[in-house]
Amino acid sequence: MGFGFDEIHGRPETDSSSFTALLELPPPQAVELLIKEDFPAKPMPPPIFPSNIALIDRASKFSIYASPDNSPDSTAILPASSSMKLDLVKQEPLESDSHPNSSSPAVSNQSSKSGKRKEREKKAKESNKKSQKVAANEASELSGEKLPYVHVRARRGQATDSHSLAERARREKINARMKLLQELVPGCNKISGTAMVLDEIINHVQALQRQVEFLSMRLAAVNPRIDFNLDAVFAAESGSSIDNSYLGMFDPSIWPEGQINGSRQNLYQQPLHFDGLHQPSWGREDDTSNFISPEDSLLSYDSPPNSAENGAVKRRARVSQVARFVYTGYN
Amino acid sequence: MKARMQNSSSSAALLKQEFLKKWINGLQTYTNTKKEMTILDRKNAIKLSADIAIASTRNFSTNWSRAVMADVSKNVDGSSKIVTEKILGRKETCIIKCSKNIMRKSRLLAHRRRAIRRTIGRTSVKAASAIAKELVKKRTRVLKRLVPGGKQMNEICLIKETLDYIASLQVQVDVMRNIANAADHQCLDSTERSLL
Repeated sequence: MGFGFDEIHGRPETDSSSFTALLELPPPQAVELLIKEDFPAKPMPPPIFPSNIALIDRASKFSIYASPDNSPDSTAILPASSSMKLDLVKQEPLESDSHPNSSSPAVSNQSSKSGKRKEREKKAKESNKKSQKVAANEASELSGEKLPYVHVRARRGQATDSHSLAERARREKINARMKLLQELVPGCNKISGTAMVLDEIINHVQALQRQVEFLSMRLAAVNPRIDFNLDAVFAAESGSSIDNSYLGMFDPSIWPEGQINGSRQNLYQQPLHFDGLHQPSWGREDDTSNFISPEDSLLSYDSPPNSAENGAVKRRARVSQVARFVYTGYN
Repeated sequence: MKARMQNSSSSAALLKQEFLKKWINGLQTYTNTKKEMTILDRKNAIKLSADIAIASTRNFSTNWSRAVMADVSKNVDGSSKIVTEKILGRKETCIIKCSKNIMRKSRLLAHRRRAIRRTIGRTSVKAASAIAKELVKKRTRVLKRLVPGGKQMNEICLIKETLDYIASLQVQVDVMRNIANAADHQCLDSTERSLL
């Protein structure tokens, strides 16, 4: 009866507040959830299933690594085990085995003797070999974040010593997270094998870091002033709506250039794209072609209100004159 | 499904706005410098502000953001301190000092751990699984070098941090690209107008 930590796969998890649900969500939502909440700062409360609390009690007592200190652990185990599919418990062939054991502790109060507990644990371990259920990976993940002990069931025909069990739990944690990563990085879904997936991930991270460098160089080249183009951007942009909430963040005195017509909203209505691999090629082309063109635009940049910058502007203007000459030569 | 996509886009938009706001705040510290900045100086300033901004959007709950701030505060450059203060505020600069100490201590521990591991002998098994494991280990080492603060993390944390780091990098790149495009459009428009 008591071994309630059963496999979960096939259970559609709609409540998105649990970490286990996170793993089953399709990628963009999963990452969005990660971004939205401070990942992984808060341990998320698991959903309490409408299951038999008595079963949960018994299940908690039969956990493999339960300490002799009973009561705090059993209450802590409650949330973890509540997320298990307890209707599978009834199919357990171990029921009959553990019934004679379970009847006494289930009925009696929770403070059982440690000797009896160890005996029960040994029986649990032996019967694990006969178990046909897959180890409760999700449970171990969830409980691994909240509880000191990991509750894992050994698979059929596999070693049950604590070392290999712990290692398997660890491996499963890693695999679950790798799956999330795979979904985040574009093009990784079809690749099988950890080494290849890691290759793709490394490439993606390197590409993103390089893009940041290019873009900051590009922005540095565009304008003589470092608090660069926002005023010009907003003045020149002929957007229809003004994002008041956004513009309200900035002190309007920063932009002495009159009306701010720009709409930030237009730029930000794209959803968070994870197709970074498609965009970089486009972005990089822009970089190479724009290295020359932004500089000749400096000529047309209106004199900044801050007169202290005039020296810098004049120097840039001279540079840009040369650049424009070269550029027109290209055309 | 659509509602979720909208949710994700709105939260992504919020993140982007937050990043942009902090980034601009940091850049404003440079407006008052009288000296002329070369293009490299400007690029470094832009990149520095962007990095600090994106790290602070995580509120330093992740390892990589703390590592970024520790690296930044290592450079004994007056301007970086000013930028940090501008973006974060006085209180949080203490957090950065704490994170520096944490990084230093964990680095010492990591050294000791690595030394111990090396003394254990290496077996030269040529099984396919061993080769695969070796490959995975190599890649993990590379990834540890890439992700800031990755050297002191175990594998599980490394993958978690990579996940977060990739998402934040994506936000950073998107915002920077949008601004760069807008600036270019504006400049090109004005050149066209001046030519006409």
